[in-house]
Amino acid sequence: MKFKLPFKKKQKPIVNTSHNNKEILSPSKIDFIRSIKDATHSPADLMVKSMLPNLTLIYINNLVNDKNLNDHIITNLQNATMETPATIKQIIAIAEVNISSQLEEAITAIINGNVLIHMEGYSQVVLANVSTRESRSLTTPENESQVIGAQVGFNESLSTNISLVRRYIMSPDLCNEEIKVGTRTKTSLNILYMNGIASDQMVNTLRQRINDLDVDALLDSAVLVEMIDDNTLSPFPQMLLTERPDRFCDGLLNGKLGVIVDGSSMAIVCPQSFIEFFESREDQNLRWQVATFVRLLRFSAIFLSVFLTPIYVGALTFHYEVIPQAFLVPLSESRALVPFPPVFEALLLEFIIELLREAGARLPTKIGQTIGIVGGIVIGTAAVQAGITSNILLIIVALSALASFTTPSYIMGNVIRLIRFPIIILAGFWGFYGIMLAFCFILVHLLRQSSLGAPYMAPFYPPRFQDMRDSLIRLPLPYTAKRPSSVRATDQEKYNPEVEHPKKS
Amino acid sequence: MKNSIQLSPKDMINAYLLFFVIHGAQVGVGIHGFQRVIYQDAKHDAWISVLLAGLATHIIAFCMIKTLEIYGSNDLYGIHQDVYGKRIGNFFNIVYILYCFVAFFSVLRNYIEVIQTWIFPDLATWFLSATLILITIYAFTGGLRVIVGVSFFSIVLALWILPLLFVPLKFSSIDSLFPILETNVGSILKGAQSMTFTIIGFEILQIIYPFVKDKENVRKHVHLGLLFTTFVYLFIMFVSLTYYSEGKLTKTIWATLSLFSFISFPFMERFEFVAVCFWMLIILPNLCLYLWAACRGAKRVVKISGKKFVWIFSLLIFIGTLFVQSRTQINTINTQFGHIAFYIIFVYPIFLLFVTMLKKKYTSQKEQK
Repeated sequence: MKFKLPFKKKQKPIVNTSHNNKEILSPSKIDFIRSIKDATHSPADLMVKSMLPNLTLIYINNLVNDKNLNDHIITNLQNATMETPATIKQIIAIAEVNISSQLEEAITAIINGNVLIHMEGYSQVVLANVSTRESRSLTTPENESQVIGAQVGFNESLSTNISLVRRYIMSPDLCNEEIKVGTRTKTSLNILYMNGIASDQMVNTLRQRINDLDVDALLDSAVLVEMIDDNTLSPFPQMLLTERPDRFCDGLLNGKLGVIVDGSSMAIVCPQSFIEFFESREDQNLRWQVATFVRLLRFSAIFLSVFLTPIYVGALTFHYEVIPQAFLVPLSESRALVPFPPVFEALLLEFIIELLREAGARLPTKIGQTIGIVGGIVIGTAAVQAGITSNILLIIVALSALASFTTPSYIMGNVIRLIRFPIIILAGFWGFYGIMLAFCFILVHLLRQSSLGAPYMAPFYPPRFQDMRDSLIRLPLPYTAKRPSSVRATDQEKYNPEVEHPKKS
Repeated sequence: MKNSIQLSPKDMINAYLLFFVIHGAQVGVGIHGFQRVIYQDAKHDAWISVLLAGLATHIIAFCMIKTLEIYGSNDLYGIHQDVYGKRIGNFFNIVYILYCFVAFFSVLRNYIEVIQTWIFPDLATWFLSATLILITIYAFTGGLRVIVGVSFFSIVLALWILPLLFVPLKFSSIDSLFPILETNVGSILKGAQSMTFTIIGFEILQIIYPFVKDKENVRKHVHLGLLFTTFVYLFIMFVSLTYYSEGKLTKTIWATLSLFSFISFPFMERFEFVAVCFWMLIILPNLCLYLWAACRGAKRVVKISGKKFVWIFSLLIFIGTLFVQSRTQINTINTQFGHIAFYIIFVYPIFLLFVTMLKKKYTSQKEQK
């Protein structure tokens, strides 16, 4: 029983578009201009420029690069004489020039930033690509910052992102397939993988899933992930969204597949196992002892974040016996004034913390920080003084909130924070039994998931001891020379681990 | 041989996972208080009974694997149908399904009782049984891979409990074990028989066998799993015998949980509260595997979809837990189930091995003619 909603299985009736498709452009200048204007609904930025003796240039002003247009097209056209569209093609000093006589093709080209050059008496037009796309400059990755390592993140331009990837992997084996998704937006996305490493079967699966999509718009890669992952109903993400080119390339070199969507600064990496969401790219840049320590710290933080508040609630509501006597005194003192049951108290505080987080995320950066600090301190202190919550719970809730932010993947961090709430409620009603119920449920749930067909709990289940060397802990590089087997890589070995040890000097 | 099971490699598991399946299926609710039952028979030589029972599991597992190897890739249900013919074979299969049902029920009911006695006296039986059954169904519907995964994690995540038993070892005296072999052999053997309820579970091997990818390694990992179980039981029995004073064990129903009760950490006391709840993870593979085994059998006997069977099965179990309420009733079920299980698990496989071997000889002779 797989809980998978079919993402719009219904086949759309094929619309008869042959009437539009085959329409040939008119040789007459006036008819040509009218047909273009009709097809694009004569936007305000559609420029029609007539040139002597018999040329017409049509383009959308905001899509073309003015400098290229002036220097390489208009100047050249003015200085030369030409008889046919074919000669125009030769004169223009632009790399991408095509000739077409079909309306549909011309419209697509003009939308993509081409200039149409029409010659009176010919139905063919010259399509010269002088497009320009507005995009912001490269900045440091905001959501996945790290101390040691590259400080560049993806931006919203597809070509910039791919060039970033190509800068890391200079190999002809880096395959790049383009697919257009969205009947209205026609968003282009690229599937990237390493030929000879990535499993062909997985590439086919991913390609199939993307091709099967029947949506009208695709604005972000996060939406795409939700459409193509294995179990849409699970709160746990099954594909990694990253804005770090180095992490993306690390995935590709490990035999994973990457997808970059135009207009989105987050790239998709899949298949991804549960444990890999808690690994940071920085772990590879640190010495292995430090990396192991940081990873263990992070995992205990996740565990604390999920279970600390529920355990507090469960222990205080049902299992007083579990609390050591020495601790019972300060605990009861701090709770003496609180009029609510622990579960309500905990839910209230968690709610406040989530409010602060959400407010901090929505507000401009500078105000957001102030709100976070002032709100945290003011509300926290006031709540304790007013006797709504106890000091100790405040510490516990703050601790678990802090711990949840150690997750390197923000999306996984969100899930960690979300699943805390049902567990707190269960703990409030049924104590440790409720917590254990939630624990077993989550365990079974995680075991049932898969990521692009690969087991989600790898390398722990199915147990692969070789892969565990780079999971909870990270062993020195020679011990991690194999690629994770869950990605079913064609080439298992990254390198030959039996290198000669450098001589001691 | 006919009606053997053909599976795609995708549905199969590696042989080394059998270690976890066998151990996970054996350890369950029996471990909470098996000491008392055996102590009643074998007194302070109870550890010898445990050892003997462990030895018996090895012998039986050997017979089971032998029987299964004759058929190559078939489970107990298929073997029954082949050996006794369709009708009588199906009768045996139904008996076995009933056995799984009772085993599931007994595990569930015992665990519910432990929870109600130790932590939540007021928590309703129907609620506990409904939640546990729902989680079991959720794991079951994920397929065999998920069930085996649950067994794996239940063992790996529960391993930390075992070293905690060194804490009571501090207060124990080795003298309680001496003199060795004071009890007569008959009583020790009787004690070993009383281990049945605690040590069964490895019969799941007869059902899971066709699902194993590399069958040549089955033997090794099954015996390793059994060895580990025997070791765990022996260790717990040893700690209990040396820790409790003479005669105290006969009055302690859940001796293992009582052992936990004074383990304390700087941040936590009364460890048994955690242990009892944590035991849910340990009984989960028990429940899943018995449900799965019953479902496999039901599919063989009658044409029924897994989903339908699970709901019928769970409903019956749920109603059953509501009717069995008192401690005496549960105790009677445990004892009776232990007796029946002894014949089904420890006697019948030897008989089955003889029958299959005879049949094999008979058919091969026939073919030669």
